[in-house]
Formats: sequence, structure tokens, C-alpha cells
Amino acid sequence: MPSTPDNDLYELVRTAIDSAALVEHVRAEQDGAIVTFDGFVRNESHGRATKHLEYEAYEPMALAKMREIGAQLHEDFAIHRLAMVHRLGRLEIGETSVFIAVSAPHRGAAFDACRFAIDTLKRTVPIWKKEYFQDGAVWAEGEVPPAAPEAKSAS
Amino acid sequence: MPSVSSSIRVKLLFFGRVRELTGLSEEEVEVRAGTTLADLLERYMRRYPQLAGLRASLVVSRNQEFAEWDTRIADGDEIAFLPPVSGG
Repeated sequence: MPSTPDNDLYELVRTAIDSAALVEHVRAEQDGAIVTFDGFVRNESHGRATKHLEYEAYEPMALAKMREIGAQLHEDFAIHRLAMVHRLGRLEIGETSVFIAVSAPHRGAAFDACRFAIDTLKRTVPIWKKEYFQDGAVWAEGEVPPAAPEAKSAS
Repeated sequence: MPSVSSSIRVKLLFFGRVRELTGLSEEEVEVRAGTTLADLLERYMRRYPQLAGLRASLVVSRNQEFAEWDTRIADGDEIAFLPPVSGG
């Protein structure tokens, strides 16, 4: 059965992520498995106690990059549907910052695709995290996105 | 051969560390036709020397797509110098 990328869901939100609704969104009778990734705020960073985090994004580009990841998933893995949501703004310890759900007829593709999705998101989607501690704040180290693989030339 | 040296207008966006170090979140600038993204970065490096430490880790986007530094800027482009990303 061909995948239906039309029903994939990509969002940047500023309120709590409803993960149960996302799981429901990707669930269909033709599927036999859903794999999810729930990324949430840890209470420490490199041994320092975290107070809270703040995320910001280059929003239209971030959504475009998230959609690209989805398109890649449909190309490379036998999955059915995908939901990928990232939260922005201030997040407290334990709150979900990113949630990904992937459905597929069989579990292998769902596991592989979900792993690929979060790994690629962390490398290529223009979102930034600032970590607040008792005694100050720092921008997370981060990853340098791969230089334009197929950069279109200007003329 | 074009005999008029024309100038073009572009919009720059600033995020994360770059936004904090420059105090800018967006700005419209005029550049000479033929200017590359690297030339534009040079201009901001001179204006904001505090960006120097970030330089090696910056990538650049043009119209919401990662771009090569030697890309020539076109009128109306939306450009951003992006620090290392840390979503997730």
C-alpha cells in the first residue's frame, strides 16, 4: 500500500504537546505498529542543574525542513504516516519538547524511521535551545547542519 | 555589459546566539549587485566583532534553504546566518 504523505502532520507549537492525539493521528487499520519518540526536558546539563529551557526557531524554514525529513522517510522506509511536533518558548523540567509518531504495517520500518527522524531533526532543523541554570544561561552547544548538499546556485 | 551598478535589498534574520550578540532580530540591508553571502557575512563581522568566535560554526540560509557561502545574493532574498542547531 502506498504511503499517504498528505496526512502527515508537522507543527511548531507554544503549548503542551498532546502526544496521545498524535499517536491517534497516525494510527490506521492498515498498520500494525506505531513507534514514538518523546523528547522531554532533563533536570541537568553537563552536571549543572537546569531550571528551565527556552526554544526558538526560524519557523517557516524549520517547518520546511521537518517536511523534508518526512518526505525522506516515505522514500526510505515502508511507513504509513508521520506526526512530528516541536514545542517553542519556555519549557519546564519534564515537559515534552519534541514528539514524533510513525505508523507502519510492520515494526521494523517504524523503529528505523522514527530513529532517523529524530536524529535528522537534531542536525538539520533550525531550532535553538537556551538552557537556564541557577547562575546563568547558555545556548546549547548544538550541531552544525551539513553544508547545503544541493544548494541551488543564484543564477 | 551592464553599465549601471545597481543595488539590491535583502532581509536578514537573526536567531539564537547571533541574535543575542548583535541585538538584532531582523534588518533590511542594501548591497551591491554581485555581492555573495560570504561578503555579507564579512560586513557583519566588521560591524559586530563579537561574532568572531562563532564564525567557524555558522551556516547560511537563503530563502529558507541552506546555501553555499559563494552564492550571489539576489534582490528580495531572505538571508540568515545560522548558529549550530539544537532542537530536540
